[in-house]
Amino acid sequence: MKKVLISGLIAGCILFVLSYGGLFLAIRFFPKWFTEYNNPLFNSDGSRDMLFYLHAFIISFALSWFWDRFKGLFKGQFLIRGLEFGFVYSVVALLPVMWISFSSLDVSIVMVLSWFGYGLMQAIIAGLVFAKVNP
Amino acid sequence: MLLLSPAEKTKWVVTENSNLSVNGTTNINKFSCEIPTYDQTDTLTMVKVDKGVVLTGNIGLKIESFDCHNSIMTHDLRKTLKEKQFPRLYIRFLSLSKFPELTAEPQPITGWVNIELAGTSKRFEINYQVSIDAQKIIHLLGAQDINFSDFNLIPPRKLGGMIKTNDRLSVAFHLKMKAI
Repeated sequence: MKKVLISGLIAGCILFVLSYGGLFLAIRFFPKWFTEYNNPLFNSDGSRDMLFYLHAFIISFALSWFWDRFKGLFKGQFLIRGLEFGFVYSVVALLPVMWISFSSLDVSIVMVLSWFGYGLMQAIIAGLVFAKVNP
Repeated sequence: MLLLSPAEKTKWVVTENSNLSVNGTTNINKFSCEIPTYDQTDTLTMVKVDKGVVLTGNIGLKIESFDCHNSIMTHDLRKTLKEKQFPRLYIRFLSLSKFPELTAEPQPITGWVNIELAGTSKRFEINYQVSIDAQKIIHLLGAQDINFSDFNLIPPRKLGGMIKTNDRLSVAFHLKMKAI
């Protein structure tokens, strides 16, 4: 349990910096990509900002537990294990969620694909951290 | 030049071709929204008093008439302005600094108005340009910068505040009126 929490915390900190840092830079340098977010679908009063920024830790702790349960299935060097873990998570969890999001929400395919790519990158990075910290 | 007599009480009827526009910015883009036509015929009344001119009358514009030329932005602005609770924005005219001289050349004039938006009212001094055209249509152009916060509105912010709408909005209106 201790390893799950420690590796989750480390992955959470790394994802926090990379995810929100990357998002900040993307908005700054490619603002046109983000004009679609001016949409009432997205919370706009700031009341859920804290929840938004906690996401990096939520996904990290959840993936850390998942890794600890099934890490024996991911074989090979740490790089391969991390990548495979990221892809497994993306296919099992992300793809169905993105599918239902696109089918039910008024959002573009580009936006949904960007979410998929963002989640895939987060899972791969988390997988690499877990393969190193909790092999 | 038609110079209005100071003793005269003058009435102007606002016609449906009048319009209002709102321009704003976010940290990623600009937006321009307008109410292209006015759906009511309201009357403005001017009476000269010792210190300037009392102007009475108001216009009530439907928030749902805002068009930002982009359906997503349009819905977002309407939501921000709390359209469901407060379906109209009102401009209540209070005074003019002097009786307007109606000429083909726009004349500068100032006046006070109350703008009521999302249930909150705030008084502003507006810089107008007033003129009359060959068809005897009186043009009253007004412009004023306002803030969302003046009306207790929160400028939209998305993605944890990484996408932010700036507080300031530039409002411009063009009333086309006929004297009665």
